[in-house]
Amino acid sequence: MKRGRRTSRTSRTLTIVGAVVLAVFGLLAAFGAALAPYEAGERAGRPFLEPSADHLLGTDDVGHDILSELMGGARVSLAIGLAAAAVAIVAGGLVGALAGYRRGAVDAALMRTVDLALVVPTIPLLIVLASYLERGMRSQILVVAVLLWAEPARIVRSQVLSVRERRYVLAAKTFGARGPYLLRRHVVPAVTPLLIAQFVRVVSIAILFEVALSFVGLGDPVRRSWGSMIQFATDRGAFLTGAWKWWIVPPGLCVAFVVCAFAFIGLSLEERVDRRLVRSTGT
Amino acid sequence: MPAVAVAEAEAEASDRPRRRRRHRVLRRLAVRVPQYVLIILVAASANFALPRLMPGSPIETLLGEDASRLPPEVIAKELADHGLDRPLLDQYGRYLAGLAEGDFGFSFRHRREVSSMLRERLPWTLLLVGTAIVISTILGVALAAFAVWRRGRRRDAASIALFTFLESTPPFWIGLLLLIWFGATLKWLPLFGSVSLDRTTGLERIGDIALHLILPAATLVLASVGATFLLARASLLGVVRDDYVLVARAKGLKERTIAVRHALPAASLPIATSVLLRVGGLAGGAVIVERVFSYRGVGTMMLEASLSRDYPVLQGGLFVLTAVVVGVNLLGDLLYPRLDPRVRR
Repeated sequence: MKRGRRTSRTSRTLTIVGAVVLAVFGLLAAFGAALAPYEAGERAGRPFLEPSADHLLGTDDVGHDILSELMGGARVSLAIGLAAAAVAIVAGGLVGALAGYRRGAVDAALMRTVDLALVVPTIPLLIVLASYLERGMRSQILVVAVLLWAEPARIVRSQVLSVRERRYVLAAKTFGARGPYLLRRHVVPAVTPLLIAQFVRVVSIAILFEVALSFVGLGDPVRRSWGSMIQFATDRGAFLTGAWKWWIVPPGLCVAFVVCAFAFIGLSLEERVDRRLVRSTGT
Repeated sequence: MPAVAVAEAEAEASDRPRRRRRHRVLRRLAVRVPQYVLIILVAASANFALPRLMPGSPIETLLGEDASRLPPEVIAKELADHGLDRPLLDQYGRYLAGLAEGDFGFSFRHRREVSSMLRERLPWTLLLVGTAIVISTILGVALAAFAVWRRGRRRDAASIALFTFLESTPPFWIGLLLLIWFGATLKWLPLFGSVSLDRTTGLERIGDIALHLILPAATLVLASVGATFLLARASLLGVVRDDYVLVARAKGLKERTIAVRHALPAASLPIATSVLLRVGGLAGGAVIVERVFSYRGVGTMMLEASLSRDYPVLQGGLFVLTAVVVGVNLLGDLLYPRLDPRVRR
């Protein structure tokens, strides 16, 4: 009892911190372009300016205002992370539900595929796939989703398997409940909280993948994301001058804050889902 | 009873569990090995299929981007040389046979065998990833043991928050900051590469390699220690409430003895499993971190290849890294029973 209260207070704090950080970056992603002091791609000043009142984070090698780029980058990184996670969760959820529902040979085949996807080293595969496809936002979303569907699929499958054995489901069946009704009334409500927790987890990984991909030059060549900002900064030798302090540090910190915010919320969601699982199997 | 008979009986008694253990290991392997073979086969087949499924002519993906500008008779000859005019199934058979002999094809850009490039690069990656995983495991478990024995609400929340934040930071960015600080600003450590170019020998060379290893390995340790900490903490917390820890405490054992002799061995199983499972992730993270330090491993090679669309090199790199991960998993299956006290008895 005592322990349950203690962890939930910790997780409540984490959730609040995460939500506040996410709200700030969500607003940035939505209105960043309007709030930014300069237009995206505008040559706002001389190249390599140090931070000043006009340019709070200085300018880059062609005179773009770094703060404005940072604010624009929020939208790219968040959009790709959310979209990739959505695709991965839907695909993984469908695979897991199908495997858990059909069982037998379908289940075995799908789960071997999941094992396979979990073993192959993700970032090397990410690089290979990204090199084959056209560079752009859509292929980036696709590639990241391909790498992240397996874990949700496995979790959903085991949940579906456990739901179908529960007494209330068996009881509903003896009263003549059939597939679609059972699905809507029992399976979906049991799986949804898990999927939401997984979604939040997957978003944070997806953002890290997108940033890594952009950093190595395999991202969208047109839109400037946090990852490609860091890439440009290192390629222009920002760490040999003092420019790294306002050119490399801020985008990395932004990534860390956003990913961490998702991770905090994911942690407490998982804990809550876990407790529900314990309760429902305990009775 | 004569002494010889006692000794024999003892020998037999101690031999029986060992035989049973061997039996379990074999049964486990019988399930796992076919899976691993399948994984390797699928990875190889994907490498075969990808360039042939992609839009555009396979000539470009197989012979390099400029290939379609060559005169048709040259293209035809090249296709025949690479066996690309044969039926697909025949091509597939030849591809697998070549792979079995360690033939990974030919790099467009470097005009040399991919296998010899891999032989040159793989040891560096293994050195980097191996060093990082050993250090981050020891560090993560030690910190977790400390955190569990000195726990309090504030400290728990702070450590979870700190390590989750560390987990959320892009590893390459941590690497960049370390490089800027210790390499460019303080000039303590080399800025790039895995070994100095001037030919040094013997001890000097080993020292040089170690010096180049510090920053990339530290980066990977920082990037992965959080996961080890969080997991080790969770499994230690599960253990410390067990009865035998209470008994050990009632016997008046020192807290440190309880931690090292009773709790850690019991908690080591999930920790070891997760460490082995994470080798894949770490090898992947190393790919990006290598590029920050221009470390001469498989990762840098793959990234260079990805920018020049040097597909055979990319595929060779992916295949070898997959094989390494599968090998580590197999190792885990062999070691698992040794760590599990229920099997060890």
